[in-house]
Amino acid sequence: MSDKQYSVKDYYCKHTTRCSSETIKDSKRFVGQDILKADAEDKVTGKAVYANDITFDDMLYLKVKRAVHPHAILKDIDTSKAKKVKGVVDIFTAEDIPDLRKFGLIIRDQPVLVALGKTMRYLGDALAVVAAESIEAAKKAVDLIEVKIEELEVITDPFRAMEADAVNIHPDGNILITHNLETGDVEAGFAESDIIVERKYQTQFIDQLPMQNEAGTAFYDERKGRVNIWAATQWLHDIQADVAQSLRLAKDQIRIIQPTIGGAFGKKEDVSVHIHLAIAAMRTGRPVKLTFSREESMITQSKRHPITIINKTGVSSDGYLKAWQTKFIGDTGAYASSGPAVVHKGMYHATGPYNVENIKGISHAVYTNNTYAGAMRGFGTTQGAFAYESQMDIMAHELKMDPAEFRQKNIYQLGSCTPNGQRLNHSVNAEETIKKVMELSGWKGGK
Amino acid sequence: MKQENKQTISGRDFEKYFQVKNLKKALEIKAKYEDQILLIAGATDVLVENYEKLHEIKNWLDLSRVKELKFLEVKEDKLILGPLMTHYELKNSQRLKQKLPLLAKAAAAVGSPQIRAKGTIGGNICTSSPAGDTLSALLALDASFKLQSKIDSRLVKAEDFFLAPKRNGLKDNELLTQIEIPLYPEESLSFWAKIGRRKALVISTLNLALVLYFEQGLIKRAGVAVGSAAPTPIRLREVEELMLGKSLAELNYRELGEEVKKRVSPIDDIRGTKEYRENVVRDTMVNALKSIEKRREGGKNAD
Amino acid sequence: MQIKFKVNGEAREIEVTPFHRLLDLLREDLGLTGVKEGCGKGECGACSVIMNGRLIPSCLVPAPQADGAEIITIEGLAEGNSLHPLQEAFIETGAVQCGFCIPGMIMAGKNLLDENPSPNEKEVRTALSGNICRCTGYTKIIEAVMLAADKMDSKGSGSDE
Ligand SMILES: Cc1cc2nc3c(=O)[nH]c(=O)nc-3n(C[C@H](O)[C@H](O)[C@H](O)COP(=O)(O)OP(=O)(O)OC[C@H]3O[C@@H](n4cnc5c(N)ncnc54)[C@H](O)[C@@H]3O)c2cc1C
Repeated sequence: MSDKQYSVKDYYCKHTTRCSSETIKDSKRFVGQDILKADAEDKVTGKAVYANDITFDDMLYLKVKRAVHPHAILKDIDTSKAKKVKGVVDIFTAEDIPDLRKFGLIIRDQPVLVALGKTMRYLGDALAVVAAESIEAAKKAVDLIEVKIEELEVITDPFRAMEADAVNIHPDGNILITHNLETGDVEAGFAESDIIVERKYQTQFIDQLPMQNEAGTAFYDERKGRVNIWAATQWLHDIQADVAQSLRLAKDQIRIIQPTIGGAFGKKEDVSVHIHLAIAAMRTGRPVKLTFSREESMITQSKRHPITIINKTGVSSDGYLKAWQTKFIGDTGAYASSGPAVVHKGMYHATGPYNVENIKGISHAVYTNNTYAGAMRGFGTTQGAFAYESQMDIMAHELKMDPAEFRQKNIYQLGSCTPNGQRLNHSVNAEETIKKVMELSGWKGGK
Repeated sequence: MKQENKQTISGRDFEKYFQVKNLKKALEIKAKYEDQILLIAGATDVLVENYEKLHEIKNWLDLSRVKELKFLEVKEDKLILGPLMTHYELKNSQRLKQKLPLLAKAAAAVGSPQIRAKGTIGGNICTSSPAGDTLSALLALDASFKLQSKIDSRLVKAEDFFLAPKRNGLKDNELLTQIEIPLYPEESLSFWAKIGRRKALVISTLNLALVLYFEQGLIKRAGVAVGSAAPTPIRLREVEELMLGKSLAELNYRELGEEVKKRVSPIDDIRGTKEYRENVVRDTMVNALKSIEKRREGGKNAD
Repeated sequence: MQIKFKVNGEAREIEVTPFHRLLDLLREDLGLTGVKEGCGKGECGACSVIMNGRLIPSCLVPAPQADGAEIITIEGLAEGNSLHPLQEAFIETGAVQCGFCIPGMIMAGKNLLDENPSPNEKEVRTALSGNICRCTGYTKIIEAVMLAADKMDSKGSGSDE
């Protein structure tokens, strides 16, 4: 047949990419070309090694005993029955590792293990870790760990969390962080407006749901004093630093080896299996493996923030935005993770790709006893998009104006300025995009 | 790094796994162990239910090798099925599609290709989920289940079998060994629909089965059943009666939809609210009647 | 208990327990880690293998049920160094991103093409409906299966001459 009959090896270029156009050395080497992915062959043959595919001789399996209540003080933990399960090699709680420091991406507020007298803040908090010869033994042991708690009020709603009489989830109160945004004079803008629309929007928790659950293996190299961890992460060096500080080790004592990542979408930014693996590897001196079930992954690791967005928008009768006031209340769950950045980034995008001179905004990231929220594709902006695009439609309706026309009147152009003062001086194709969408969808107008 | 023959637990650690080859043996084991044994066919429900707990199960009775329980036969006035028939086999059976397209259609809506290849109709019946997809079809088609023990057997009408969510009339020493569905002589047209959030891998928010048997243009018999709209899948005899002896033209579809709506008792859950289900069950009934009307006009074989 | 079965053409005999799933047997005991676990509950399709000619979720098969079976996993598709047309097509169309769903997707594609060598797009969609992918949005994966069907078809007619 054709001479395009290819063997993947022919395209293997030493760096990162297999490209079908290796001979073209100019700038068009990649742009406009079909590029074959470097690791595609490994992935279609099943040879690609993901964290959970790594196995060592003599390996122990870990299982984590998680919080038994979303908000409670740990009064007692009894592992004596669990320790008797055949095949159990080690069980450790916070009491066994007294110097542990908390961890976290932006703010270190998350305990590696909840200590006696301390608080479990969501169902994913770790109370103990079992290391056993088989996964079944580890599961049996986890079920036999007995826990006594003192229940606290469970707060699942950020508005309740902000009330004066709500119990504090963290010592400094339930509002993790507040950001303000102000440009122009929003009151003057409303005064100039002919129509003012105020609406409240609510988004929900979403799990990023990468196909691969959190998993890892680790092995302590006693001679070098170094823990080797094979586990997927989106922040190799930050995680290395965080694991090291939480264990009071030097960074070079933690080596993280990135296996193939089975999807992440933000969910693998946070520490998951890493610290527990490191501790178990050091305590037992044997290779260890920890794999989350899907349920455990959902309960324990981050989510997209549910954000309540209140938009108040003023517009002139000829369809120009005059003022935009916004409030973002993000449920960041039990721990900060990327929450401080996500919620205020969402607010900065509150007006979407539309020109508004007078803007005022406030955002709060609020602690609750829900699973913590963190990074997910868009980092706060998708929640905002739902709110501002809905707001634009409602305003167009109030103006009795075609929503496409209304958008075009206000859309960013070259030279437009974003709410946080960034001047857009290249690649502003928003209007073209709207036109293209109108064309492709056969938009016939509407009011 | 990778290692072959990594054995987490040795085979000697488990107790009893009976992989029987014939029904007699299966019934004997069931008689002996009663509810102290976990029965599996395709295992698609059981393994999900016991995820991460399989090691706690002491005794297993695996029916999957009992050839006597896997058949589809057309007798003069009935079609009989072995409980081990998979959804895949039902969906693709020419005879079933010809005789009872309603059931073939319901089987085709179960899960995904993977689940249909493994899951059995017997398992679907015995799990007795209010949402079980083949159950509304079986109810509308007037099916009966043969429940057999080591000593004797009895035939139970589908309507009398389902007692509560995931509870049924099977006794601890019994197995479901046969499903019987009458083949009535009149020409018939049927409709089955599943409402769910996706097209595949979705538990019914609602499902509805309707079959009408015509004699000289008049409805001689009818079967109406819905799933996911009450604690069990239910057959709506009273609605059926409203249609008997009438021609399609004489039926008020909207009113019949309202009659269905009146008789369901759905709950709010993650798949849908009570209100949603009530309204959708009404509209689905209307659509079912319209669909049958269209096919009657367009000739019997049009779909 | 001892079971005998064939995996990718090779006869195996192995000691299993009922709380071993076929998935564990393949991954842990036989080192066939191309078979992935995404949910353990039959919802995601990542663990799909072909058992006795049918696509099944290996997470829902108690190991003893594999006794006497013939099983094909992703590892069994390539012949020596030459990839299966489905594998080639997945690479060429850019259908692979994180890759975790891919073994299951390819097995679902194979199961379809074994039964129906020239499927239309709708048939491909139905055949892949038990397999979840979170990266690609499916378009390229569907293209890949269609392309593989073409490749296999032209191979077939070539050998007729
Ligand atoms: C991902 C996924 C998707 C699914 N989607 C659907 C769907 O869309 N629609 C739907 O209806 N179901 C669905 N199911 C549920 C399930 O697949 C079906 O109910 C299937 O028919 C069960 O059959 P099985 O042979 O696998 O049952 P098993 O799991 O083997 O058994 C189920 C129950 O029935 C009992 N049992 C089985 N056979 C007999 C017998 N002969 N006598 C007495 N008791 C018996 C068992 O003891 C057990 O209690 C889904 C399941 C999964 C995992």
